[in-house]
Amino acid sequence: MKNQLRQLLALSVLAGTAFAAPLSFDFKDPKGVNNVQFKLDAPLESITGTGTGISGQVSFDPAKPGATTGRIELAAKSLTVGNPMMGEHLQGGQWLDTAKHPVIAFELVSLANVRTQGGVTTADATGKLSLKGVSKEIKVPVSFTHLPDKLGARVNDPKVKGDLLVIRANFEVNRSDYGINAGKNTDKVAENIQLSLSIAGSAPKA
Amino acid sequence: MLRRVSPHLLLRSLAAALAIGGVGVWLATGAHRGWTRTSEVEMRRDEVTGIDYPVRRDKFTAGIEFPFAALGGAALLAIGAALLRPRERSSGPAGTP
Repeated sequence: MKNQLRQLLALSVLAGTAFAAPLSFDFKDPKGVNNVQFKLDAPLESITGTGTGISGQVSFDPAKPGATTGRIELAAKSLTVGNPMMGEHLQGGQWLDTAKHPVIAFELVSLANVRTQGGVTTADATGKLSLKGVSKEIKVPVSFTHLPDKLGARVNDPKVKGDLLVIRANFEVNRSDYGINAGKNTDKVAENIQLSLSIAGSAPKA
Repeated sequence: MLRRVSPHLLLRSLAAALAIGGVGVWLATGAHRGWTRTSEVEMRRDEVTGIDYPVRRDKFTAGIEFPFAALGGAALLAIGAALLRPRERSSGPAGTP
């Protein structure tokens, strides 16, 4: 009888693992921690800024991280720099034209070179980056850190159950590829934009 | 009774005040060699996720254009003062008309 119970328990665990549904993580962040930082080289000093208007959904299965799919969006108007005049130019028609193109989005198409170690999965993500009305496929080195049962700690409420998924990525894009003042002011502002993304999503459990 | 200040002295005083004020504000806010900023970012770390995130707060930091603009303005005022300076009457040698 004991053996049968053990076998049943082992089977149910196996079945649970084999058929575990991927978790859906929501990246809307009321705490304002999720952020993207950008940097462009310029002669006097580098132009650096931040954006915090992040939202999106990512479907992540800890047992099959290579099957991750999702879409992350950034409200372009949330991008800010320290100098107000520079900020106005950044939002204006020549640069990001945020009035016409309010959303910057990355749609994950596939993951390659997936490696998982100690809850951290690294991979090369291929996806479509949509910026100022132009969509281009790019490859981005990315890391996923799965934090099981950490949602309660994050919202300071132990009654809330759920997992967290932290995504980090550092990559570069060429502003000319997206029609951002293409080929102009290259003596004042570099063509390459360095981007650093650090975001956390939550998947509450019922 | 108020003395009437001559325009060239007034302009010279304004030029000096502008130059000292502009350079002084720049030095007082940290002699920043980049552009003027009205806010600055302080990085903090979220303990649960380990994410470093920016917190932006209002803080005025005068940039390098500040002393340059002040010195440029002061130079223009000084030129104006020089042009308005009353010329001394030349007293020629005796016998000349």
